[in-house]
Amino acid sequence: MNLYRQNNGPAGRWVPRFGRKRLFFATIFIIVLFIADAISGGKIRVLVRGIGSYVWGLGVSVQESIYGSGFLSARRGLLAENSALAGQIARLEERAAAYQVLKDENRALRQMLNVAGNLQGNNKKSGITAPIISSLRASPYGTFQVGAGSADSVSAGDLVLSAENFVIGRIAEADLHASLVREIFASGISTDAVIHGVAVAVEGQGGGNARTTMPRQSEVIIGDSVISPALGARAIGVVGNMSESSGSAYKSVNVYLPVNLSALQFVYIVRE
Amino acid sequence: MRRLLAIAGFLAAIFASPWVTIICMGLLAFRYPAWEVLFIGMLTDFLWMPPGFFHPLPIFTIAGLILVWGLEPMRKEFLFS
Repeated sequence: MNLYRQNNGPAGRWVPRFGRKRLFFATIFIIVLFIADAISGGKIRVLVRGIGSYVWGLGVSVQESIYGSGFLSARRGLLAENSALAGQIARLEERAAAYQVLKDENRALRQMLNVAGNLQGNNKKSGITAPIISSLRASPYGTFQVGAGSADSVSAGDLVLSAENFVIGRIAEADLHASLVREIFASGISTDAVIHGVAVAVEGQGGGNARTTMPRQSEVIIGDSVISPALGARAIGVVGNMSESSGSAYKSVNVYLPVNLSALQFVYIVRE
Repeated sequence: MRRLLAIAGFLAAIFASPWVTIICMGLLAFRYPAWEVLFIGMLTDFLWMPPGFFHPLPIFTIAGLILVWGLEPMRKEFLFS
């Protein structure tokens, strides 16, 4: 058996014909595109997002027409039932959490009734409803797109809410007719919040989950609402579970957003 | 196969979980000196990255660069072309 390495020596050396050259030029092209995007104030990414949103819409309509034609009907029936049940569970969970939030808010307001007389209500601020025009699971940065932009008076920093008034995210960038939303629980995002009267910083973990630490003596139970004073005293989630070790003065609290993100079709945008 | 993986990668950037995208990029870069990997990474970042000058970092473009150039010696060693 010939054990001589076939790619040894000048004669047998592997020489890429075009691959490496193409890679080199593609690398230069990518760097130039990034620089051009930065200089133009993000015009290239706006264009790419527009194309991406169009392709996503096309994919969704193709999927709907395949399902509508009756092809794969058994599978479609099961999927529809599964989706309907999952949506129903999510809605009930969200309502239960919203009820808890209202209950907590009611209690807090009753306590404050004699203290504050001229609070500014959050409902005085107007908002608009916008459709979701991109996938909610494809982003590695915890972002998604909504079909309302600066032409609809949406601007960066506006709050994005669910039907039950939970804060889902903030507008990160507003284009003319679409906007990029960054989830409040996107990985690496920290939000000031209050759980059962204790101020905490909630660290986003992605996928509608977040984590925080609280003093061990804090009386927190599963299902407690998490309110963010920085976001107009709105609810941003509920307590999912807790863990503590005997040697630590703190306990770890997991928070989740009681909204089924994959079933969301519309969101409510409130101007800040 | 290369075209299929590239198309899957581009579609995954729009429709699927980021893990699918990175797997397509990895498979492409493992087997071919594929410039498509860089464009899939860039598409993912341009689609989903919030605004800000390299904050957060364009991780998929960086991953693409690492994959295509980092795996180049291995492809050379195993005579992939």
